[in-house]
Amino acid sequence: MSVKEPYKFNLGRLLSPAEIVVERGNGTKTELIKKLVSAVCKQDPKLDGADILAQVLKREEGISTTLDTGLSIPHARLEEITDFKAALAVLPNAAQDPVNPNLSIKAMFLFLSPAKPVFFQRHLQILSSLAETFKPEFIDELAALGSPEEILARLKGHR
Amino acid sequence: MSSSTPSAQSPLRVKKVVVITTAMLTFIPFWKAAAIVLCDFGSSAFYAGGLAMRAFGPAFPWYILAVMLFAGLLLMLELEACSLFVRGGAYKIVREGLGDRMAKLAASALVFDFLLTGPISAVTAGHYLGGLFNSFLAQFGFSFHLPEGGFSVAFGLLVTGYFWRQNVKGIEESSSKSAKIIAFSLAVCFLLAIWSFITIALQGAHVPPAKLHFAPDALGWAGKIDWMKAVGLLGMIMAFGHSILALSGIETLSQVYREIEYPKAQNLKKAALLIFIFALLFTGGLTFLSAVIIPPDLIASKYGDNLLSGLAMSMAGPNLLKLLMQTLVVVAGVVMLSGAVNTSLIGSNALMNRIAEDGILTDWFRKIHRKYGTTYHVIHLIAALQAVIILLSGGNVYLLGEAYAFGVMWCFVLEAAAIMALRFKRRGEKRDFLFPLNVRYENFYIPVGLGLLCLFLLSVAVVNLFTKSIATVAGISFTIFLYAVFTLSERLNAKKANTMFEEGYRERVNAETSLDLKDALEDLSQPNRVLVAVKTPEHLYHLEETLRTVNPDDTDVIVLYSKPVENLLYRQDMRSAAVDEHELFTQVIFLAEKYGLPITPVMVQSNDAFYAIAQVAAVADAKEIIMGVSGLHGAQTQMERIVMAWGAVKERELNHPVKVRIIWEGREISYRFTN
Repeated sequence: MSVKEPYKFNLGRLLSPAEIVVERGNGTKTELIKKLVSAVCKQDPKLDGADILAQVLKREEGISTTLDTGLSIPHARLEEITDFKAALAVLPNAAQDPVNPNLSIKAMFLFLSPAKPVFFQRHLQILSSLAETFKPEFIDELAALGSPEEILARLKGHR
Repeated sequence: MSSSTPSAQSPLRVKKVVVITTAMLTFIPFWKAAAIVLCDFGSSAFYAGGLAMRAFGPAFPWYILAVMLFAGLLLMLELEACSLFVRGGAYKIVREGLGDRMAKLAASALVFDFLLTGPISAVTAGHYLGGLFNSFLAQFGFSFHLPEGGFSVAFGLLVTGYFWRQNVKGIEESSSKSAKIIAFSLAVCFLLAIWSFITIALQGAHVPPAKLHFAPDALGWAGKIDWMKAVGLLGMIMAFGHSILALSGIETLSQVYREIEYPKAQNLKKAALLIFIFALLFTGGLTFLSAVIIPPDLIASKYGDNLLSGLAMSMAGPNLLKLLMQTLVVVAGVVMLSGAVNTSLIGSNALMNRIAEDGILTDWFRKIHRKYGTTYHVIHLIAALQAVIILLSGGNVYLLGEAYAFGVMWCFVLEAAAIMALRFKRRGEKRDFLFPLNVRYENFYIPVGLGLLCLFLLSVAVVNLFTKSIATVAGISFTIFLYAVFTLSERLNAKKANTMFEEGYRERVNAETSLDLKDALEDLSQPNRVLVAVKTPEHLYHLEETLRTVNPDDTDVIVLYSKPVENLLYRQDMRSAAVDEHELFTQVIFLAEKYGLPITPVMVQSNDAFYAIAQVAAVADAKEIIMGVSGLHGAQTQMERIVMAWGAVKERELNHPVKVRIIWEGREISYRFTN
C-alpha cells in the first residue's frame, strides 16, 4: 500500500443536519451507535442498516475506538458504499465507555468508509483528523450548542 | 507534549517511563575491540618465549613465530564462530554443535586453563617487577638481591586480590583504558625494535638455530617412548605444543564480539586482522629479536621468566638508558599482565554463568551479591583457586606454563569440531564468514580447511598429552572433577534446571525511572529518530528489519515497550499482552548486538499501547514509527487505532512528515502523517 498525497479533509462536507444528533439521554454506547447508523441510513435508504450496525459493532469488539479526549469513533469499511458516510452525536451528559469505565464519551462520530483499498489512506487520514479536531475544549463547545444546524455551522467554521 | 500536561490524568496516557540501560548497548569500534583482546593475548609476549626456550632450547623464536602465524587460523575459526552468533563463546558453540556432554567437557577444560592463565600472568608480572628492582639495586651498588620467586608470589597474590575485589564489585575496565595500554605497549615495542636493530647493526647477530634440544622434563612420557623420538615431525609438533602458551587470551575475541559496532561483520574482520598483525609483531617479533640479541645461556640463567627485560638490558648503549628501557618494558608488562589476570577472572566467571544459565549449576553458584549484583560465589571460588595455584607454584612460571595448554587445546579441538558439525546442522544459514578452503556441494560448503585445522589441533593436543605430563595429569584430573561437579549439580538441580532452561538467558539491565518522557529521551542525539514498538520476544521481525536497514550515523532507534498498568481495568487482551519484559529486552538487546547498533530501549506504563507509541514518538520527534503486526487485531485495525491515538495526542504542527509502518514477514502497510 503506497503513501499518497494527503486528502483535504473537510468535516462539514461529511455531515448534514440530519446526521447530527444532540443526545441528552443516558443511552449506552451501543444504543448511540444504533441511532447514528439509523441517521446515516435515513439519508441513503439503499443501505442495509442492520448489516452496517453488525459490522460497526464487530469492529467495536476489536481495539477500542474511544479516545481520552471524550470522542468515540465507531467505524467500519463497507463493500456497499462508494463514498464516505458519517453521523455525529453530541452528548451534553457524557456516557460511560463500556470497555474502560474511566473514559467518558462526550461526542460520537460514526464513520463509514468504502472498503476498496484505494480509500484506505483517506480513511486513515479522516480518523486521524477527527481525533485531532475533537479535543476536549471543542467537544465542550459543541455540547453547549443547542441544535444540529449550529453544530454543523461550528464544524464548518473550525480550522 | 509531555506526561506532565493535564492529559497525564487520562487513563490512557503514559504513567511512568523506564529507560533501560545496559553495558551491552554501548558499542565500540574495531580497534578498541582489538585492544581489549590484545591486552590479554599480547601479554603472552612477556613469558611465552622464555618458557619455550627452557622447554626445547634456542629454536624457540621459530616456534613462537609459527604459533603467532597459526593464531591467524584460530582467529579465522573465531570469526566463523562469531558469525554463528551463538551467545556464550566456545561453550555454547560446542553445546550447539556437539551436545551437552561435550560442552560440559569443553567448559571444564577451559575453566582449568582460565585458572592457570591468571596465576601465570600475575607471577610473570611479579618476575618483571622483581627483575627491575634487582637491576636498580645492582645499578646503584646495593648487594641486596630481591628473591624473585617469593616476590612474584606476593605480587601475584596482590594483583589477584585486587581484581577479585574489582570483580565482586562489578567494576569493569573500560575499552578506552585497554586502547591506551596497547598504544603504550606499541610505543615500547617500537622503541625496543628500533634499538634492537641498532644493536644488531653495532654488535652483529646470530640466527637462532632450528634444531630442537628438549629438556628432559619437557619430553614428559614421550621421552620413554623410543619411536616418538625417531619421528622428526613429532618433535616439531612437541615444540609447537610447548609454544601454544603464546596463544593465551586469543579466545577473548568471542567475548568482545558482542560489543563491536555496526557494521559488525566487517569490523570483526578488521579487529581480527589488527590482532593478528599486532600479535605477530609484538609477540613473534620481540621474541625473535630477544633470541637474536640475548645470548641463549643468559636467557636460560637469568631472563627465562622476564625475556623482554633481558632484551632491554642486552641492548648496545649506556646502562642508565637500558635501565630506563627496562622500566618502560616492565610498566607495559605489569599493566598488560595484570589486565590478563582480570580477563581470566572475568572469562571464568562468565563461563560459569553461562553454565549456570543452562541449569547445570546449583543456586549456590548463581547467588547474586546484594549490593553489587555480581555472581560473587563463583568469583570467590575462582580467585581462591588462583591464589592457591600461585602459592603452590612458588613463583615458578615454567611449572605453571607446563600445566597450561591442556584446556585451551582440547577446547579448540571441540570448538573446531562443533563448527564443522554446525556447517551440516545449519547448512542453509547465511554466514558472514566461512573458514577458508571449502568445497561447495549443492547448497552447503564442505569444510575441508576446518577439517585440516581440527586434525592439526587434535594432533597437537594428543602429542601434548604425552609431553606435557603436568598439564595432562592436572588437566584431566581437574576436568574430570569439574565435569563430575557439573553432572552432580545438574542432577541435584534437575527440577529447577528445566525451569531455568526454559527461562534462558537474561540480560543484566539497569532500569532508570523517569516521570517525564522528555527527560527520559534527552540523550537522543541524532537528527533522525525511529521508534520501534515491541510487544513480545517472539515477534521482533520488524525490529530486525529496522536494524538491518537503518543508518546509525544519523538515526537514533528507540525501542518502546508499553507495559499495561495492572491496577487499571481495560481490555482483556491488553492485560494478557503483559509479557516478561526482561525476556523481551534480552531479545531486543540480542538483536542490537547482532547488528552492532546502539538503541534506546524504553518501557512505559500505559493502558493503551497506541497512545504510548504516539506520545513517545511525538516527544522524541520521530520521523518513523514502526510496529509489528498483531495476530489478534490485524494490521489495518492497528493502523486505524494508531492514527486515532496520534490525532488525540497531537498538540502542535509537525516539523516533518511522520511515517507509520506496520511490518511483518514480506509485507508492510504504511501511512504518513502530515500537517
